[in-house]
Amino acid sequence: MSPSTWIKLLIALAIGAALGLVYGWVIAPVEFIDTTPETLRADYRADYVLMIAETYHADKDTGLAARRLAIIGSQMPADIVKQALQTGREAGYAPNDLTLLEELFTAMQSYQPVSIPTAGTP
Amino acid sequence: MKRFPWELIVGLIIGAALGLSYAWIISPTRYIDAIPASLRADFKDQYRIAISAAYASTSDIQRARARLALLGDADSVQTLSAQAQQMLANEADIKTVNQIAQLASDLQGKNIAPPVHTQTIFTPLANTTLIPSPNVTENPPQTESVSATEQPQSPISAVTPRPTQTPTATSGAPFTILSQETVCKSNLTEALLQVYVIDSHRRPIPGVELIVTWDGGEDHFFTGFKPELGNGYADFQMQANVSYTLRVGSGGTPATNLTVPVCPSANGNTFNGGLSITFQQP
Repeated sequence: MSPSTWIKLLIALAIGAALGLVYGWVIAPVEFIDTTPETLRADYRADYVLMIAETYHADKDTGLAARRLAIIGSQMPADIVKQALQTGREAGYAPNDLTLLEELFTAMQSYQPVSIPTAGTP
Repeated sequence: MKRFPWELIVGLIIGAALGLSYAWIISPTRYIDAIPASLRADFKDQYRIAISAAYASTSDIQRARARLALLGDADSVQTLSAQAQQMLANEADIKTVNQIAQLASDLQGKNIAPPVHTQTIFTPLANTTLIPSPNVTENPPQTESVSATEQPQSPISAVTPRPTQTPTATSGAPFTILSQETVCKSNLTEALLQVYVIDSHRRPIPGVELIVTWDGGEDHFFTGFKPELGNGYADFQMQANVSYTLRVGSGGTPATNLTVPVCPSANGNTFNGGLSITFQQP
């Protein structure tokens, strides 16, 4: 092939790749329909944490709160609440909601998961 | 004659294939700002549990409604009821099931407990927000307007309704028979034993175990499996010429000598009627 043919081929290749990227990223991107709570947008995550804080305020069940927090991330429960608290402050949460989050944050800071004793341990 | 530009066609096809491979496989669009509606089904269930638990604590129906709307269910009440039934069948924690069933009931406008007003230091939760986020996302959520608008602004007050408790069977308090009636309706399933279980405030209680016994047999069934008939409703198919005894699983007064009644029909014949029994927890 002549050099001009190669140039045309490369140009066509580049245009084709660009078209493919536009189609794949913009026109028909991969759709995620079965996402996990970890991927939730920050404000939705914060609201989920607020739900747990509202429940915790009533039942004071730190274990249950920690288990529900674990659904939205592998971080320590206190860190998840801390992030939610930060998001809540930035988004202008009502003082009462911030109080609930702070209460949950305090509880999660001192929360220690109950360890199950291993069978056969003397 | 000009030659067909095959190199352009081949280049475009190969390039497009490479581009698509990169965009769809190697580096697909990262979805980091998902909305609750896109969650996997089991996580949506967890989300509903959290909403119901929070509602049980706050009694803020508007907030619960707004949160449920984020999940994009076609019929939140139906979805909640179905989840409660499924959890009941899977022997999930009865308190959690009750919270979900109660939210479903209250969303239908039924069984709203009378609010108990008391002094509290809190401002009304309805005055708070679900944060209409200013974040710009790749895929703006369709439910943005819901979260942004479904929080009615109400004046801050020192007096606010205290959260009411979800009706649950109080352990230890025995159920008593409030009423027992013969049902002679030809359009009803024959020989149906209909049971209603309510608490002291006449609110239906889901998830209550009922035990029916007869000579040589026993069966267990639960309230709440037919939410369209009420969360405290359950039924049992009786057989003619058999005497049954029915009691609430946790104890209390049993209903004895239950038999299929014979009812007169309009044309002078007879048909098998049913029974309707209501248990109440004092």
